[in-house]
Formats: sequence, C-alpha cells, structure tokens
Amino acid sequence: MPPKHHESSRPVVIVTGASGGIGHAVVQRLLDEDYVVGGWDVAPANLEKSGDPNLAVARVDVRDKKQIDGTVAALFERFGRIDGLVACAGVYQTMPFEDLDEATWDVTFDINLKGAFLACQAVLPAMRRQRRGSIVLLSSTLARIGAARGAHYAATKGGLLGLARSLALLAASDNVRVNAISPGVTDTRMPREHASDADLEATARTIPLGRIGRPQDMAEAALFLLQHDSSFVTGQDLRVNGGALIF
Amino acid sequence: MNLLIIGAAGVIGRAAAMRMAKRARIAAVDRSGDGARGLAAELARSGHRAFGYEADVTRGDSVAGMFEAVGRAIGPIDAVFYSAGLYWSKPFEAITEADWDAMIATHVKGAYLCARAALPQMRDRGGGAFVAMASDYAVAGFADNVAYAAAKTALFSLIKSLAQAFAPHGIRVNAIGPGLIEAPLLANGTSSGSWQGLRSHRAGGVPMGRLGRPEEVAAVLDFLLSERSSYLTGQIIHVNGGELTG
Repeated sequence: MPPKHHESSRPVVIVTGASGGIGHAVVQRLLDEDYVVGGWDVAPANLEKSGDPNLAVARVDVRDKKQIDGTVAALFERFGRIDGLVACAGVYQTMPFEDLDEATWDVTFDINLKGAFLACQAVLPAMRRQRRGSIVLLSSTLARIGAARGAHYAATKGGLLGLARSLALLAASDNVRVNAISPGVTDTRMPREHASDADLEATARTIPLGRIGRPQDMAEAALFLLQHDSSFVTGQDLRVNGGALIF
Repeated sequence: MNLLIIGAAGVIGRAAAMRMAKRARIAAVDRSGDGARGLAAELARSGHRAFGYEADVTRGDSVAGMFEAVGRAIGPIDAVFYSAGLYWSKPFEAITEADWDAMIATHVKGAYLCARAALPQMRDRGGGAFVAMASDYAVAGFADNVAYAAAKTALFSLIKSLAQAFAPHGIRVNAIGPGLIEAPLLANGTSSGSWQGLRSHRAGGVPMGRLGRPEEVAAVLDFLLSERSSYLTGQIIHVNGGELTG
C-alpha cells in the first residue's frame, strides 16, 4: 500500500546545531510561533528534555550525508512538507595560524560549510517542488573582517555567503529563498570558550548599541527570513551586529 | 509609536503607511499636499489616526515647519521613514547641473535635514528609529543613472554614520535597498502601455521572475521599526528578488 500522505497544517523547519546557543534560541522562537521544528544536533540532550510535541529531535552529524538524507526523508514522510532550514551547526577553535593543522581545518570545513551544503541539498528538491521554502545559513561578521587566530573559521563563514548567494540564484524561480545572517559577537558558549567575562564586557563597550548580541537577536532575524514578510528578500546577508561592523 | 513618512504619497510611502497604521500614528508628508492629506484621510476613514502635511524636504525652513506641525498634530516623532524619491534614466553626458543638484537634494540633503530635525529630539527622549529608502545602487554602479547611484550611495553613507553616532542613544538607523518594485517611479512619465512592457522586460532579469510589490518593502520596514531588529543598525536590507546578492 502506498504510504498515507498527511500534510501538517503547521509549517515545518529544520534547525541544525539546534542544541547550541543560537540554534536553541531559533528552535525556541519557532516553537513559540507554532512551527513544527526538526531540531538536529550531534549532542541533542538538552533538546530531548523539552517534551514539546512540535519538536522532533534528531541526533544528526551534519558531516553524514546518509544521516541527513534519511532524517529529511523521515521528516517529510511524517509531516508532508518542509518549509525552512536554519543551518546553525558550527565549530570554532582558535589558535595561531602556524599551529592550524590539517585535521582542524578539515573538521571545521566539514561541519561549518560542507554540513550546510549537505543539508541544503537534502531539502531543496522538496522545497522547489512545493514552490515554497526559505533557507537561512548562519555566517559571521568574521567572514568580512577576518580573524587572525581563526582563518579556517572565517573562511568557512565566507564560504557560506557564497553558498547562500548561489543557491538563492538557483532556486529563486521556484520561489525558494536563501539568505544568510552574520552575527557579531553573540552571547553563547562559543565566544566564552575564548574570552572572559571582562573581555566580553570590554567588547560590548566598543559596540555602538552598547552590548554584545543575544541568541534571541539572531532568532528574530531567522524568523523574519523564514516568514512571508521577507518574501522578496533573497541572496542577502542580515548583519545583526549592533553596529559593530558597518560597511 | 508616532511615525513620520516622508514621500507618503508615493507608492512605497503609501504601502508603508497602510502597513504601519495598525501600530503607529502616521504623519504623512509629501511634496504633494493633496497626496499627503488624501492618504491621511483614507487612514482616518479606516479608524487610524493620521495627519497629512505638505513640505519640500530639500529646504531647511520647510523641514523645520513640518516638524513643528507634525509634533503639534500627533506628538513627538519616534520613527522616520524617508521615502522621498526622484528617478530618471539618462546617459551621463545628458545629466545637467540642475539634474544633479535635484538628485542630491532629494535623496541626500532632504534625508540629512530630516535627520537633523528628528534625531536629537529622539535622543532626548531615549530612543527611536530612522529608515531611509536607498537602492541596490547604493552599493552598485549604475551606468544609466550615474547621479542616482551617487545620491543613493551618499544616502547610505549618511545612514551608516548616523547609525554609529546615535546608537549609544538607543536610535537605530538603517536603509532598505529596493530592487525593481512595481512603482510609477520606474515609469518615468511614459504611458501605462510602455510601463507594462517595462515590467515584463525588466522582470526577466530578476531571479524570482517578477517585480517586487510595495507591500514587500513595507513588510521589511515593519521589521526594521520593531524590537525584532533591536540589534540591527547601520545596515541595508536589499529587497530585490535576488537581482543583486549581498
């Protein structure tokens, strides 16, 4: 018998890196707006505690094409639609450039850039058939200003901009939009691995709006890009950085 | 929120007013007094408090008078949407000095004058927002209209500097960069027949295969004037269906 096709009345969005600071805020914001959320992470323990019936948690390593394809297929089987993807999965380890080894370069690229590519490739066919979809890739201000101790990271974030723009051109005629968000310093575990509270306070004082970013700021930008309000916005990069980078 | 819309009688200004009237008192200002007052009357008929006023924002005395009148009518201004427009298409050699001056006056000086009137009082009251209509040509070159691109780029530069200057005072300043939007600004005074032809010709160059709708610009304005974008300042949001990726 053919599988029963049921289409959810709520829009369905996949979030990768859903356990991390920004990803988790995106998940929360979407659940608050009555989305069905596919929350993916390589370590999803905090998501599994949620118990929200509209949250479908999956343990996914974004380097694993089979896992990504399988999870997308299962999600589509269950909900009958995929309306959005927010790619937040990323790693960032700083070090002097001379110490940057191939293994660190490769894993950074595999997770930050290739993972986004694989996720996009998995969801685009359905979105294009639907003639409806919005993809958001999390880049970074560092893509444009660079990071002396994080050339690998900055390079992946620049790569995400190239990916977003290219997919935007590819899918525009099918009414699928692809954009990026470039956060400045955002209050998550990531900067706190490299900087003390005092460092972050000093950084905040250099930012025109007087504070570092909150994960919720990025979640709001992601929601805007997923929604109808941004219906003619594609191939763009929302730089949510409190005025830290203006050019 | 008390929102001042400059160029309210234009297609974008009008769409902005319609969208924002749900949560803002609108002061509709335009070179065309009839246009501004007509829009205000239309909003009032739908139960929204609005005020229409005629002003030439390229003149400081006119801007000062306008702010005074608007303040008396709806109260202190919390947000400004600068959507005054001027557009034509000419080869570089055909642009006259008067053409150049008019472009700079409408897009740059007018924005400067309105910011000069609005931002200090927003600062004194603890915050606010200023959004200007820039263009894709605020960041890209435009052989068909060198003056327009120069003016829009200058406007975006003004936005960026004002954003830096006023961020510490809780004021966010941003730009919207529309691409091809269904608006008579493109029609250049030609007949509706050729406007339709222009629409289908130019839409072919837009990845999304169509022109944008004024409502799609108004929706981005709504985002920029809300707390949802509270960490976003000094930026331009391009609304162009992918015609210029950024």
